[in-house]
Amino acid sequence: MATATATAISGGFGGESRAVLAPSASVLPAPRRRASAVSSSKAQFSSFLRGQSCNLMLTPKHICIEQQSCSKSSTRTFALSRNDFSPITQDVEGFLHNIVNMGFLDRLKLAWKIIFPAPNTKDNSNANIAKQRLKMILFSDRCEVSDEAKKKIVENIVEALSEFVEIESRDNVQVDISTDAGLGTVYSVTVPVRRVKPEYQESEEQYRGKIVGVDFKDTGETSGSVDVTFDFFVPNKNY
Amino acid sequence: MAFSPRLLPATPPSRCPPPASSRHGGRTAPELSGPTPRVVVVTSGKGGVGKTTTTANLAASLARLSLPAVAVDADAGLRNLDLLLGLENRVHLTAADVLAGDCRLDQALVRHRALHDLQLLCLSKPRSKLPLAFGSKTLTWVADALRRAANPPAFILIDCPAGVDAGFVTAIAPAEEAVLVTTPDITALRDADRVAGLLECDGIKDIKIIVNRVRPDLVKGEDMMSALDVQEMLGLPLLGVVPEDAEVIRSTNRGVPLVLNDPPTPAGLALEQATWRLVERDAMTAVMVEEQERPKKKVGFFSFFGG
Repeated sequence: MATATATAISGGFGGESRAVLAPSASVLPAPRRRASAVSSSKAQFSSFLRGQSCNLMLTPKHICIEQQSCSKSSTRTFALSRNDFSPITQDVEGFLHNIVNMGFLDRLKLAWKIIFPAPNTKDNSNANIAKQRLKMILFSDRCEVSDEAKKKIVENIVEALSEFVEIESRDNVQVDISTDAGLGTVYSVTVPVRRVKPEYQESEEQYRGKIVGVDFKDTGETSGSVDVTFDFFVPNKNY
Repeated sequence: MAFSPRLLPATPPSRCPPPASSRHGGRTAPELSGPTPRVVVVTSGKGGVGKTTTTANLAASLARLSLPAVAVDADAGLRNLDLLLGLENRVHLTAADVLAGDCRLDQALVRHRALHDLQLLCLSKPRSKLPLAFGSKTLTWVADALRRAANPPAFILIDCPAGVDAGFVTAIAPAEEAVLVTTPDITALRDADRVAGLLECDGIKDIKIIVNRVRPDLVKGEDMMSALDVQEMLGLPLLGVVPEDAEVIRSTNRGVPLVLNDPPTPAGLALEQATWRLVERDAMTAVMVEEQERPKKKVGFFSFFGG
């Protein structure tokens, strides 16, 4: 989550809105909202960027979904813990709970598997590499779109997007077709954005969202970092 | 004088069983299903995967089962089917001559000496001027003429040229079914997928695959994709899996179709089984040969943890 936020901020300051791996120390509500506004345009049209880690990809998408559902945003309790930014989500907590309930020998086995993972030779076999490549190439061959259609897609998207943001330069817009193992064929249009148009820009002074249910797990007095859980409410007509 | 058709009543679909064959579970012959003649195009997209070999052997198998078959070499520029059947010296008249009106259709058909039910038709002489005169309706006309002949064949097998250009379009025009030959490598599969798309666009929905040149040792060592993988990728029913066999080369050199070997070789057996399935409109399901778990590397105490 934290990384995605930093990404969106850098996107908002005139760079191309691409994912950038940048660490961020703490997260405040305001930048997160701005992140949402800017990253929504990015996430909607460029929902997949190659070569990046999974986590990065999922989170902008989730922000987008939250926006579109236009209701109380789901409590994605991300508790930034300690100095390392490893967001412990509810899934991980559940996993740890399950482990505690396992028997001793099972836990021992699990520990062995974690510490000494079995070498995964099967996935690197030539046949499997060929299968993966073939899947990708079959998907993209089957879904190949004509050049004319690509131009029209770009035009339509730029037109739709320029209602909300100012496009940096129309010539730098790129269309790519790629395949993703989970999603299938993915069309991505990458649009460099200069800035969000004033009427759609979120700013700190006039945020229309509301934070409810703040819960400080760690106020930072002893450990040096803040651990906050909150619910963020976004009313319907806001963008 | 051009071939003059005579209208005849349609032949009954079923056929009486011919000589006993002990290799098929006691049954003497496959049951022909569907109206005859069945026009099947053997295509692949990529060259060199074994179309012509497959066509020759399927036709020979059919003839041996006493199902009259006509093998048509639809490659107008480069002719190979006659070599595989050992009939290269006997081809004098081709479909080009028939269309030009120089001879009758039955004069252009070459009958195999050993297999009386097998006939070959070549599209044109290789040395002649490039066949720009061939339209896409050429083979449709040939198929119709064969249908109206005195003894219509049960099967018309069309050996398609490689590629997806005009020759391909001509070859698939009269066909109602297709046999897609492919090898388990990534290039052939990509082309096969493309060809399958083109066939479906053209209205041929009955497409079955033959996976050729499979090396079981490489499949086991996970270096080559298996027939199951191929079927998964392409999503089409499987007609047969033919292993790589040196006998293919020998039989090509001799000019005798592989399926006539006695005792039969693995490739010959596979092709014969494919023929049965073709006749009965059946398909096979590929199975994982060995669904075994990873061999235990550590034995003894540590296998308890790492196993």
